[in-house]
Amino acid sequence: MPEPPRHNLPAEPNRFVGRERDLDDLRGLFGETRVVTLCGVGGIGKTRLALRVAAGLVTAYPDGVWLVELARIGRPELIPQEVARVLGVREEANRPLLDTVTARLRGMRCLLLLDNCEHLVDRCAEVAAALIATCPRLSILATSREPLRIASELIWRVPPLDLPDAGPQAEEAEAVQLFMDRATAAGTRLGPGSLADVIRLCRALDGLPLALELAAARTRLLSPGQIADRIDDRFSLLTTGGRTAPARQRTLLAAVEWSYDLLSVKEQVLLRRLSVFAGGFDLELAEQVCAERPISAAEIVDLLGGLVDKSLVSCDESRRRYSLLETIKRYAIERLEQAGEREVLRERHLDVLCALQERHFSAEMVEPGLPWPRRLEALTMSKRLLDDQRVALDWAAEAGNVAQGLRLCATSTSLLPIGGNLTEIVAWIERLLSLDLAHVAPEQVAHAKAYLAYGLEARDELSRSLELAEQSLAGLAPDNVFPRCVMHSLTVVVLLRMGRADEAVPHAEEGLALATRSGDAWNQAAGLLGLSALALTRGRLREAQRHGEEALARAREHGHRWIMARTAAQLGAVAEARGDLVTAKSQYEMAVPWLRELRSELDLARCLARIGRVAAMLHEFGTARECLGTSLALGRATGQRQGVARCLVGLSVLAEYEGDLEGAILAAGAAATLRESIGQHSATTRIEELLARARTKLGDGRTTSLWSRGLAMSPDDAARHVLEGERLAPRPRMETTAPAETVRHSLLTARELEIAHLLTRGLSNRGIAEELVISPATVARHIANIMEKLGYTSRAQIAVWAAEHPNVPG
Amino acid sequence: MHVTPLLTVGPMDERIVMVDSDTGLELTEEQLDERSAVATVQLRRRGVRAGDTVLICLPVGPDLLVATDAVIAAGGVACPVPADLDAAALSARIIASRARVMISDLPQALEAADESRVRIVMSVADLSVLHSCPGSR
Repeated sequence: MPEPPRHNLPAEPNRFVGRERDLDDLRGLFGETRVVTLCGVGGIGKTRLALRVAAGLVTAYPDGVWLVELARIGRPELIPQEVARVLGVREEANRPLLDTVTARLRGMRCLLLLDNCEHLVDRCAEVAAALIATCPRLSILATSREPLRIASELIWRVPPLDLPDAGPQAEEAEAVQLFMDRATAAGTRLGPGSLADVIRLCRALDGLPLALELAAARTRLLSPGQIADRIDDRFSLLTTGGRTAPARQRTLLAAVEWSYDLLSVKEQVLLRRLSVFAGGFDLELAEQVCAERPISAAEIVDLLGGLVDKSLVSCDESRRRYSLLETIKRYAIERLEQAGEREVLRERHLDVLCALQERHFSAEMVEPGLPWPRRLEALTMSKRLLDDQRVALDWAAEAGNVAQGLRLCATSTSLLPIGGNLTEIVAWIERLLSLDLAHVAPEQVAHAKAYLAYGLEARDELSRSLELAEQSLAGLAPDNVFPRCVMHSLTVVVLLRMGRADEAVPHAEEGLALATRSGDAWNQAAGLLGLSALALTRGRLREAQRHGEEALARAREHGHRWIMARTAAQLGAVAEARGDLVTAKSQYEMAVPWLRELRSELDLARCLARIGRVAAMLHEFGTARECLGTSLALGRATGQRQGVARCLVGLSVLAEYEGDLEGAILAAGAAATLRESIGQHSATTRIEELLARARTKLGDGRTTSLWSRGLAMSPDDAARHVLEGERLAPRPRMETTAPAETVRHSLLTARELEIAHLLTRGLSNRGIAEELVISPATVARHIANIMEKLGYTSRAQIAVWAAEHPNVPG
Repeated sequence: MHVTPLLTVGPMDERIVMVDSDTGLELTEEQLDERSAVATVQLRRRGVRAGDTVLICLPVGPDLLVATDAVIAAGGVACPVPADLDAAALSARIIASRARVMISDLPQALEAADESRVRIVMSVADLSVLHSCPGSR
């Protein structure tokens, strides 16, 4: 497999100007410091500096440099979720997500860049502190207007760019360089004659990068001198709030206001309306949400282009995805409120999100006869709207618009476990259902409860899930077929998991009948899948096979890779049950490309573990090793202990079939411990049989000792033992210090060694200075060097070290 | 070579270089050497290089002496700002400076740092901790 990228830093949109020394210093700080927060006012360039620092640290962090953009997160509880998403960690049932993230990061040497923490600073601080406390090799670089105020944080104040001094070097000042660069990019050629005005403007703008960019974007129409004059005037026009703000904030506000006031009326309207989006947005979304008097949808593309040219809106290279800088966004929100448009726009945003997600959901799941690429496209588009969907749901809750909120909850797979999102749907629906439901139709509440039940099953809250599924079925109208069918299928799953198969049969049959009548291929497949699982539980293999085959046919008809993979796995399980391992393996293998297409790592990991186990039993050891290895890597990367445990069981089977009983016991023991730690039971029959076979071959004592060693073994060690055929290593010995000492010696210069030995005589700096005929300041510098090189914290330690190492010149 | 495992302190080292007028505590030459050595390492860890100006805004006392010695040992230029200046003058001095690092515990100095070119403010405590991760204000 190709090496996955070790960072997610975006490409720089334009040239980075200046701050060479700062970059150097900041990168240097990470040798000693674990948390550095870049602080400063909006527009001073914290994010840009942080990204640049982080890019230069990629080689220093073998496990990667990961940017977590928090500006688009509105709620503090979503922070761990965003960190997890960036790291590819998935939620585990019954475990706080932050714990899974922490466990994943524990051994990793990586740098997290938490960008724009200020609006969630308390929770950011808690999360950062928790991660730093438990992950010893992790570093954090944060940007925030306010410090996190946690122990071990180094607050680094980002200054403006260097301003020009009077003199011939003025042109080289950072502020001038940035202004010139951006003016050139805007298509303006500024001759040497304008330098004096540029210098004046840079000073007026206090070297603030954002202010300089906004000014430079206007140089096609206004000369630097004109801009400087107008911005000066702006200071006196600042709104009351701005007048008392600190100087830099005032300067920035003046620049932003000036730039805003220069916009055409329509551009102003669009800019403030764009502030309703969570983060990045595309043209279509802007057209749907922002087109309202006085602007029409057709005008938006040009208006947006104008805003990009004026540096008020950023866009990616392809000009498909747009976004607002945080500082501009805040300003735009204020303008939106002042225009009295906030409620209208947020309501509209919510409505548009509802309509879009409903359309995507229908295309992905419900509409018959659509080809798979069309369904996949709908799924992808729906997922891309997740940030905006959250913002819209927040608004629904805040404004008490429960009906629209619930509607939005019931129309998106990205909020559901099928999209790898275990608990989020639960939290949203519970929040909305706790509000006043007087204006909500009971039918809609029943519909929402269906998705709540769905989420609860994924969280292993089976009895609550069952209860809500029943309530939902009781409240849903008979013609609301899709959710009814989903509820029947879910009830089958829950009852099966609760060991109540008999009660499940009528649900499976009813769900199937409903889906068949309405021609709903997805739910036909799901219903048949349920029937096959029920038959398998009761040992009716031929019936299970028949239902499974039919389920696969219906799933193929629908085309959704998720349901197809599910039915293939069911057919594999049925084949395994009748002892037909060759068929089982090929059924499981069928699902692999489908799951890869869906990027569904958790399902893929499960599928690969099954293939690996069956391949081992077929003596296809190479395949088994490869599949189990990949599955294990996926389980670890996504932080799934259950997935890791599953692989260990597979590896135990592999080891035993290869004749390595020792490895089989170790892996089974490690799996048992891991399962116990997540409150899961192990398949005790297999373990007992394995141990019985081992006793015959290896003897009681050896078996017992291996088993207890396996129980205490880390999952990684146990896995390596089987995967790489590693033999048991002798117990680790105490590390000797000899080699380190040699290194330490050679680090010191002759003069430093000399001074180190003089310290054994208890001399002061002045005493040493007199002895060596040098100045006390030089002695102090040498001593600081020695401390740094030897990693000591006091002069006394140097003296003791020197006393113990007399065989050096001194 | 003769080795003295137990450190003996010669008369020169017991010499008192300063008495804190507030507390009456004495600072011996040895203590000064020790504390400034540690402080020098701390300054370097935060990026102070030869030729860098470091603002020192501390009341007259042992800490000021240690900080000044440490800045010089780190190769920096110590630039003292009297801690008893009135707030406006103090702020003006800090803002006008091009220093990247400031040593101070004064709230008004910290506030002024936000509007200055100072990147890192170190407290007196930051100058002495060497084991743990550095903090700062």
